[in-house]
Amino acid sequence: MASKQQDQTMQVAAEWWTRLREPNAGDDVVEQWLAWTNEDERHLQAFEQVSALAEQLGSLDQVSRRRLAEAFAKPAGPQRRWLPLAAAASIAAVMLGAALYVGWMQHAPAVTAQVYQSGIAQNRNFSLPDGTKVALGADSTLSVTYGSQERAIDVRGGEAYFEVVHDSRRPFVVTIGHVTVRDIGTAFDVRRTGERVMVAVTQGRVAIADRRANAGPGDTLEATAGQRVSYDPTTSSMTVDIVSPAQATAWRSNRLEFIDEPLGVVIANLNRYTGTPLHVADANLNGLIYTGTVHTDAIDSWLDALPEVFPLQVNKQAGRVVLSDAKSAAR
Amino acid sequence: MSAVTLSVHVSDVEKLFREQNRALIAFLQCRLNSLSDAQEVAQEAYLRMLTMDNREEVDSLRSYLFKVAGNLAIDRLRKRKVRSEFAVVQSQDEPVDEHSPAHHAVAVEQVAGVRRALSELPAKTAQAFVMHVIEGRDFSHVAQTMKLSERMVRYHVANALAHCRARVDETEVP
Repeated sequence: MASKQQDQTMQVAAEWWTRLREPNAGDDVVEQWLAWTNEDERHLQAFEQVSALAEQLGSLDQVSRRRLAEAFAKPAGPQRRWLPLAAAASIAAVMLGAALYVGWMQHAPAVTAQVYQSGIAQNRNFSLPDGTKVALGADSTLSVTYGSQERAIDVRGGEAYFEVVHDSRRPFVVTIGHVTVRDIGTAFDVRRTGERVMVAVTQGRVAIADRRANAGPGDTLEATAGQRVSYDPTTSSMTVDIVSPAQATAWRSNRLEFIDEPLGVVIANLNRYTGTPLHVADANLNGLIYTGTVHTDAIDSWLDALPEVFPLQVNKQAGRVVLSDAKSAAR
Repeated sequence: MSAVTLSVHVSDVEKLFREQNRALIAFLQCRLNSLSDAQEVAQEAYLRMLTMDNREEVDSLRSYLFKVAGNLAIDRLRKRKVRSEFAVVQSQDEPVDEHSPAHHAVAVEQVAGVRRALSELPAKTAQAFVMHVIEGRDFSHVAQTMKLSERMVRYHVANALAHCRARVDETEVP
């Protein structure tokens, strides 16, 4: 923690910075400043820190600069920018409603599947008959089949977080793409983007298996809290790395966190949260690797910043947003 | 021994460099908002000191060094202004080397951090800071736009700068 004295030195350093900056500041100002720097070596150090920060902020990219100017340097104020997004979200809410209950479907005699679905930009929470809690991400679908031997969940798309009530006689098994996740007393998050699957364990343990016929016993692995397993359909391989519970479930607080994920996966997941679909025109962009946080209520400003960090161009059209290669888009 | 008079002069400049270089660089970085430009200009200032022919008329070499450097900085700012008219054309030719995700995360986080820090400040303080530091408008321009005295603009900018710097300290990993 910075002490009061440090804060004061920083304040004085910042004042000197603004005084010294004037190109026509008199020689006496420079002399006084030099005298101040000679008083204590921490003075010059603080001044250098202030200068370095000012340089850093003065050389921000154009998009960031414009965004900050819009937010703070225009009398109209920052609130206005968010209105269209908020309005769009409430329209979506009216149109799609909450976790749209699609209905009971005949699955097999005596066993019924219930399908849960959520609308775009709508996260929903609900409980299953055994008390297991489910948080369903936006634009996600899962079917629940509770039989006498097994509690089976099929995640057909999107993301879901489960806090499972453990019952060893009736295991809780999530099927997601080519992968099954078997609970061993657990809370975990699953996400499906096409055939790409991500499982993040926030509590307890799960067994994850490649469920396709040719998969051997070596294709089952156990993951514990703090681990993330990614299934890559192109190589049919599973990789394990780490993730914090907070990161894994950040989407429940309207933040999508991505760690080393292809831009194509990022975009597909953002599309679950925006009423204006994002479309990638050049396939080579899908492979760019992205790490970072996207606020689901500020996808627009994230898009504004994107061309500054990836070689792409964002084209906002009526009803959709197109991302294209910066080079191919040059006219 | 003519070499002696020259070497005395060289040692004067060497002494100046040893004792004043850090302050000189800081002074120039403040004026130019660029450490690399500051280093270049400082070198040029030392060169001018070595080739000056009115040594007898100068009572404080240090004051003279900062005066020379200050003038060189003004020249450079002028040139920069002219150059910026061509900047749009140039930036299209620049190679993009920002593919790395780390770079992206840093840029986005940095902007988010500044945004957070500024939103904690009075609107006028944040506005003066963004106009001067982020947009690069000089104090007189900001004063006119905001209908404030230049002294007040400087006051706001200093407050915001100190505040942002304090926030940076908090977020840096110890």
